[in-house]
Amino acid sequence: MDYELIEKIVELFSRSGLTDFEYEENGVRIILRRQIVYATPQIQVVPIGEPQRETIQTKVSEEKSDYVDTKEGVHLEAESSNLVAIRAPLVGTFYRAPAPDAPPYVKEGDVIEKGQVVCIIEAMKIMNEIESDIRGRVVKVLAENGKPVEYGQPLFLVEPL
Amino acid sequence: MKRVLIANRGEIALRIIRALRELDIESVVVYSEADSNSLPVQLADRAICVGPSDPTRSYLNLKSIITAALITDCDAIHPGYGFLAENAIFAEMCQDVGLTFIGPEPEHIRIMGNKIEAVKFAKKAGVSVVPGSGEEIRSLDDAVDLARDVGYPVMIKAAAGGGGRGMRLVRSEEELLRTFDSAAREAEIAFGDSTLYIEKCIINARHIEVQVFGDKSGKVLHFGERECSLQRRHQKVLEEAPAVIDEKVRRALWRDAVLLAESMGYVNAGTVEFLVDENGNHYFIEMNTRIQVEHPVTEMVTGYDLVKLQIEVARGKPFKFSQEDVKIRGWSIEMRVNAEDPVKFAPSPGKIVRLIFPGGPNVRVDSAVYQGYEIPPFYDSMIAKIIVYGKNRLEAIKTARRVVRETVIEGVKTNLPLFEVILNHPDFVEGSVHVRWLEENLT
Repeated sequence: MDYELIEKIVELFSRSGLTDFEYEENGVRIILRRQIVYATPQIQVVPIGEPQRETIQTKVSEEKSDYVDTKEGVHLEAESSNLVAIRAPLVGTFYRAPAPDAPPYVKEGDVIEKGQVVCIIEAMKIMNEIESDIRGRVVKVLAENGKPVEYGQPLFLVEPL
Repeated sequence: MKRVLIANRGEIALRIIRALRELDIESVVVYSEADSNSLPVQLADRAICVGPSDPTRSYLNLKSIITAALITDCDAIHPGYGFLAENAIFAEMCQDVGLTFIGPEPEHIRIMGNKIEAVKFAKKAGVSVVPGSGEEIRSLDDAVDLARDVGYPVMIKAAAGGGGRGMRLVRSEEELLRTFDSAAREAEIAFGDSTLYIEKCIINARHIEVQVFGDKSGKVLHFGERECSLQRRHQKVLEEAPAVIDEKVRRALWRDAVLLAESMGYVNAGTVEFLVDENGNHYFIEMNTRIQVEHPVTEMVTGYDLVKLQIEVARGKPFKFSQEDVKIRGWSIEMRVNAEDPVKFAPSPGKIVRLIFPGGPNVRVDSAVYQGYEIPPFYDSMIAKIIVYGKNRLEAIKTARRVVRETVIEGVKTNLPLFEVILNHPDFVEGSVHVRWLEENLT
């Protein structure tokens, strides 16, 4: 097996969303593994005395240039003028991966195709696979794994390609 | 019960939020995309969007609403009126996933949801029913025979209809022969069930209903009657409590209403509707297995908060009072203010640019609109219920006249002018109106 091929495989692997890769040819075996680092959930501290009014109503302005996610306080504008949101088509629990120990369907930086499954929304014990309706690069994952999402809530910000 | 999901919108969602808040229970309200600026969404402890403006995909979406209750850790669902309030499958689904449905048993919703079954049940319980009702019509021949038996005019009704939908008046055999097939077809299209029934049309009948309530221990009480004869296209326009009727008739109505509810072990709030003819005979027509739009007039004359009582009963608390404690005092009138053309009655959605609700003694306004609010075109046109109270009927009428003049709603057309006319009409003041009076006299 030549060095160039190995280099190519490693490069392809690192660009892919794969976590495990195994390749065997003429007695030579290549095993590639990736350690997934999940983002630590942000804990919001609510000052005592402030009403604990937890509205999941996410306010999204009509203009695509101004996305506001009230929950995390993320404010993206100007530079992301052409970003498009993938929104929850139903109310339910948002999951980034098909199983708790599985890698997420997509992560920031990934290029997704139209029709590609990007997440799961569980409603009444049914796992609904949510497909992207556009081709593009995932700029930001807005919803938190395992948390409720409401109808129309932006889940991902995508830069159309 | 710590947190309750409200599966409704508008004034009734707000009414439920208010009851929950006074009981120290958290409220979670569902909403559609068209209602993101609604008052219930602003006032509930939490709000969750369950779908687009189309009600079949939001407020009528059983799965999404149950999911919303589960992911927000609610322990009960209050359905309000309309939408899923009388959907037995929904009530059953709630039970299946461990949510308390604030309403009656699914089986009772099912029985009373089918008009034929409801009348059969009432008949069996010994409650007076309209001649001809409760007998399914299988063919045109059946229809002709039955109509001859009970005498014209008759009403053709769709078994699965309700709220005035799927009903038509037939004055002669010739008319029956002409319209029977289309009535069956209409019922099939509208309700997915072509079953019809025919009943004697009670001339100059009044619509009087009795508020009943059962707790989980099997105790059934009534909270008096409501007069709801002022209707247009079978939609109530103005209601009052009590009704101008003979004391003997009143007691007979109460007795039959309680008898019906008791015979099925009915739990929670329900309304037993009767037609009362000119001679004081009463006939059961249907039972609504939910809180009614017009419940405030009963609250005004009894002093009981029916929505709080619904929640307490659903929590399993037995009544701490008896029938003797429920006293009817004074008189109350409710006016349903709709965003509609007062002449053509076409809905008039749009933005409310100026709004002044009435006030002063003995006035209550149940409404979820505010100045600057945009009335969405997707739902019903009722924007406010203005309720007044008086020591007696005349005092209530005078207060009603005052509040109609005080009320200012600009930006949309409303039916307020209609109340001005009704409240000053001699027939109304005398208390001699019937279910067709409004259509015959004022439209």
